[in-house]
Amino acid sequence: MSSKRHSILPPVSQSGPKPPVHFSSSITIADSALLIGTNLIVIHSESVIHPRAKLDSLAGRITVGRRCIVHERATLGAVGTSGKITEAAVTLGDYVTVEVGASIEAGETVIGEGTVVGVGARVGAGAVVGKHCTLTPHTEIAAGEVVPDFTVVYSNGMRRTDKRGVAELKNKGQARQIDVLRRMIPSNPAKFA
Amino acid sequence: MAALTPYTYIQCPCSDSSTLGRSSGPNSPTGSEGDEDDRTFDPRAPRSNYSLYPLEYLLYCEDCHQIRCPRCVSEEIVTYYCPNCLFEVPSSTIKSEGNRCTRSCFQCPICIGPLAVTSVETKPDPGLLAATDNTAAPHSGPYALTCSYCNWSSTEVGIKFDKPNSIHAQLAKLRNGGTTRLTAKERKERRKDPSYRSQAAATTGSEGGAGPGKEEKLDLETQFANLKSFYQRQLADPNSADTGLASLSDLGFSSPTSLSRIMSIYTGGSLQDKKAKSRVGAMREALESDEGLQIADLDESAAIDKLQTDGHDGTASTAQLLDQIPNLGEAHLHGRSRFLSELRPIPYLLRAKRSKRCPVCRHIISKPEAKIQTTRFRIRLVAGSYIPSLAIRPLSLSSASSTSSSGASVPGALLEPLKPTHFLLTFRNPIFDTIKVTLGAPAKTPGRFPSKVTVLCPEFEIDANTDVWDEALKDSGERERERERERRARRGGFEESTTTSSSNNHNNNNNNNAQNQLEVGKIWERGRNWVSIVVEVVPPSLKLGDSTGDGGGVLREDEDVLEIPMFVRVEWESEGGGDEVAVAARDTSGGSKEAREKRELAYWCVLGLGRIRRS
Ligand SMILES: [Zn+2]
Ligand SMILES: [Zn+2]
Ligand SMILES: [Zn+2]
Ligand SMILES: [Zn+2]
Repeated sequence: MSSKRHSILPPVSQSGPKPPVHFSSSITIADSALLIGTNLIVIHSESVIHPRAKLDSLAGRITVGRRCIVHERATLGAVGTSGKITEAAVTLGDYVTVEVGASIEAGETVIGEGTVVGVGARVGAGAVVGKHCTLTPHTEIAAGEVVPDFTVVYSNGMRRTDKRGVAELKNKGQARQIDVLRRMIPSNPAKFA
Repeated sequence: MAALTPYTYIQCPCSDSSTLGRSSGPNSPTGSEGDEDDRTFDPRAPRSNYSLYPLEYLLYCEDCHQIRCPRCVSEEIVTYYCPNCLFEVPSSTIKSEGNRCTRSCFQCPICIGPLAVTSVETKPDPGLLAATDNTAAPHSGPYALTCSYCNWSSTEVGIKFDKPNSIHAQLAKLRNGGTTRLTAKERKERRKDPSYRSQAAATTGSEGGAGPGKEEKLDLETQFANLKSFYQRQLADPNSADTGLASLSDLGFSSPTSLSRIMSIYTGGSLQDKKAKSRVGAMREALESDEGLQIADLDESAAIDKLQTDGHDGTASTAQLLDQIPNLGEAHLHGRSRFLSELRPIPYLLRAKRSKRCPVCRHIISKPEAKIQTTRFRIRLVAGSYIPSLAIRPLSLSSASSTSSSGASVPGALLEPLKPTHFLLTFRNPIFDTIKVTLGAPAKTPGRFPSKVTVLCPEFEIDANTDVWDEALKDSGERERERERERRARRGGFEESTTTSSSNNHNNNNNNNAQNQLEVGKIWERGRNWVSIVVEVVPPSLKLGDSTGDGGGVLREDEDVLEIPMFVRVEWESEGGGDEVAVAARDTSGGSKEAREKRELAYWCVLGLGRIRRS
């Protein structure tokens, strides 16, 4: 993979303070990812941060678990309506996927292991999404809401339980995808250190 | 309140009540009153909902020179196909297999998303795999239908497939829970099997002694088969109970003759045997499950228990139940699925490509390409390429002194009551001949809150839709002078006749104010094949107190929408075709029998201008 895609968009403006970070050595983080804020940003092993993903630790610590994928223009730690500062703004468990343009608001928000936050979905401040949930595209989870494990939120807030029992398989698939992404996305963790 | 963008709907002439024969009374919903010719089309009349179409929905018959709407075309099916796999389905297959895709195309019963066949991999435990099946290929084993949107899987209803293809056939044999549906032959064989007999007796015994305990649960198909064979045996049996009421036998419910008559209707006469006719007497009814007797299971405690645990969210919605297709392997009426956990995959409903014909002359006016994958049409005579299109735009007059400058310049803004508002109507000529357009609109719109309407220039010509380059090459100066002369002449002639812009004092005042912009009979703007004219409306006040309305003091739905009925007559001359309509047009216009023929098309349309502010 020698050919590198060049973006036609203007370079991301690195405004505001540079946050303290704690990266595992095995992560993949794109050069144009946007890390801002004043609190610690922790990214655990083998996670992938796509270009233009935004991690904002202004309202508290951001923690990304192992083998997570944060896609383009996804936002972790968006300062919500409350605007209050907590110790942990956003915590992603292991194997979490935050899809393109999704937004997770700050305020002790927790996304459980293996959960997929769909394209353009929005998770409100303080919501606790359980393990292996699927939030379909453009789902909105209200602030403070608790979503039980294996819940599928679809079609404007309808809910059902995922009974496929494929959590293990999904995790394996995630690991394979990360292998591919690693070769596709030039990583530059040094920029944020 | 939702903003309203201006719209134009055209009334297809097929719905003209004057062509439907007897004219209805003055209070009829068609809004016809008095002389049919003077009748103003009322867009609010209940019938109007069924005859108004946007221009894009209309077709045009080139032979009848008439608009054709979806109501007045006759359709023929070109091909049937599955919208999922895009395979064509021959009509013979439709007759035998039904109108669903019989390949592997299914919709999710929960969210109607498309289902994909995926292999249900056994637990990724290598030890287990080796123990059970070590010859398995990476993608083998049972398969399931899964929805990638809501994550539903057919394993939730206990359905797995052995092969990844011809799912439809496999599904037909599977009941929910994975038990196979037996064919009639298999069922017979099973019944002979003594071990099954004892087993069945044991299970029914344990269920509790409601009714005769030996009864077997029958599904629809089995019950039908049992009943059918039972009645056939009854008909053939000469010793069936003879009551001796010979005179009534032909009418009685239980008489073999009436039964054989009914059965012959459904089965096509195969049962019409002479023996039955000669015999009299009643038959007995089915008494056991082998004969097709199914005792209704009225014990719903299981369903009630399930409802208590799953709650309302666990039940299927009406739409979800309607999507379910009858399943012959299903239990009879009682105990039919009502829970989400019992819904089965929905085979895709087939679609059809249709061609459309003119109902009068039978010419094809729309014919799609027969190949499924192409979306092109072989023939498609859309009305938009024959009749002028009409675009509406609010017009705000720049002169500050004018009272007519209103807030309607922003599209979708509310119209101020009692304030004159102007709209620009742009007619665009799609044909290659110059057309003459004559507009007619009532001075007051029908309804409880009449708006005053003035079409400032109800008669004008639009140049042909010529090549853009032709126009550029022409001497534009010469042309423009010619136009100006023509315009003046028409305006002079028009102010005498004043058909629509009459007796409106307010309008006259207004014109004096904004003299340089608005002149009666003057075209606002003109282009290569288009003309813009101005319509002035004075919206009514929606005060209910002073209205002498019949419907009481409540504003009805959409009564605040300002809609203007407008009669459009288009005349043009074209190369002759020599059919009836053209002849008729010639006759009315004085019968000049030249090579070029006069044509005329007239129709009502409705201009939706906007909502009026409620006071
Ligand atoms: Zn025709
Ligand atoms: Zn019609
Ligand atoms: Zn299909
Ligand atoms: Zn689904």
